[in-house]
Amino acid sequence: MSDVIDVNLEKEIAEFYQSFGINQGPGDLQYRLILKVLEINEGNMVEFSEIRQYTDQFADRGSIGSKMKTVFQLEGLVDKVKRGAYTITDKGLIAASFLKETDSFFKNTKKTYEILERMP
Amino acid sequence: MSTGLLLNITICFAITVSSFTFAWMLYRSKNEHSEKSYPSLKMLVILWMLVGSTYLPTTIRMIAAYFNNPEIDLLMYNLASVPFAFVSVPLVYFILYVIVGDKNISGFLSATFALFGVVYLGFLFSNGVIGPNVTEWSSLFMINSDIAINLYLIGLFVIPTAMVIGLLSLLILRRLPKKLRYRTTLPLVAISFVFDFMLTDFVTLVDEMQLAARIFILLGTVQAYLAYFPPMMIQEKLGIKEYSYEVYNESNDDDEQEVNDDV
Repeated sequence: MSDVIDVNLEKEIAEFYQSFGINQGPGDLQYRLILKVLEINEGNMVEFSEIRQYTDQFADRGSIGSKMKTVFQLEGLVDKVKRGAYTITDKGLIAASFLKETDSFFKNTKKTYEILERMP
Repeated sequence: MSTGLLLNITICFAITVSSFTFAWMLYRSKNEHSEKSYPSLKMLVILWMLVGSTYLPTTIRMIAAYFNNPEIDLLMYNLASVPFAFVSVPLVYFILYVIVGDKNISGFLSATFALFGVVYLGFLFSNGVIGPNVTEWSSLFMINSDIAINLYLIGLFVIPTAMVIGLLSLLILRRLPKKLRYRTTLPLVAISFVFDFMLTDFVTLVDEMQLAARIFILLGTVQAYLAYFPPMMIQEKLGIKEYSYEVYNESNDDDEQEVNDDV
């Protein structure tokens, strides 16, 4: 699974949105990583430990657990199926789809501004 | 003595002067550009130098035609063909560098176009030209080699023009601030204008068409100049005026100081 999610790219994208003052959602690295892990395991149960594989280098266990509870569970993006295990909901998939849009926006904007930088 | 030829001389001279001036102005502005945009700026300077170098001998050629001197006319036509054959080289480098950002790929592909130019000149000089046919408006030569014309049409013009259109569409489809849109698309439109009408100028056998093509080349050069150095009137009309301002420092605000004192 570590081949599927590029943590450094996610960090770069999150920082890009943070530079616009968007610190939540697409600008939040933890949110991005959690949602991506959940999305690629659509229809399956995701253990907390699977999410922590990505998030441990950026955040402590407590903050991820808190995010799961206060954002993902509260907003209905995931269903808790057992202790420390979650599955993504339809609403969560919509959020994941939005996250993909933010990926494309980041890539397009970066590409365009790289072109513009080279234009005299 | 034809007044039409005099008009043609004036237009060719105006293209020469405006192209060289634009190239010089661009070169002088090199310190305002970043390291990343410097290679493309250099190519743009070379491109406009080549346009100027094509129309300088063409001006002399028209003067020679006016004074009925076919030897000088032919000599200047051959001289003008040399920079003309290589106009696509800096253009291809410019477009590829801007899109891809790799100097090696851009250099390699533009070298291929230089080779096209050399082959074109080889065919042109080995087969010669027919003319000059001096008319009221112009002096025309017919290229005596179909291979040269095809090579020149496909290799030297169609591909670079397609590249310009590609980059132009890429920029038009993106959402850009008005000022950036103006600054990036207008030079490309101007280059495309000049480039395509130069093609018409060199292959046409109709004098009026040649004169019209040269008028459009002149307009294209002026358009390119306006893209980089827009006068205040255009800036205000298009809403792209750049205001000079200093960042507001709250600690220097006397009014706010008074309010704070009151509190």
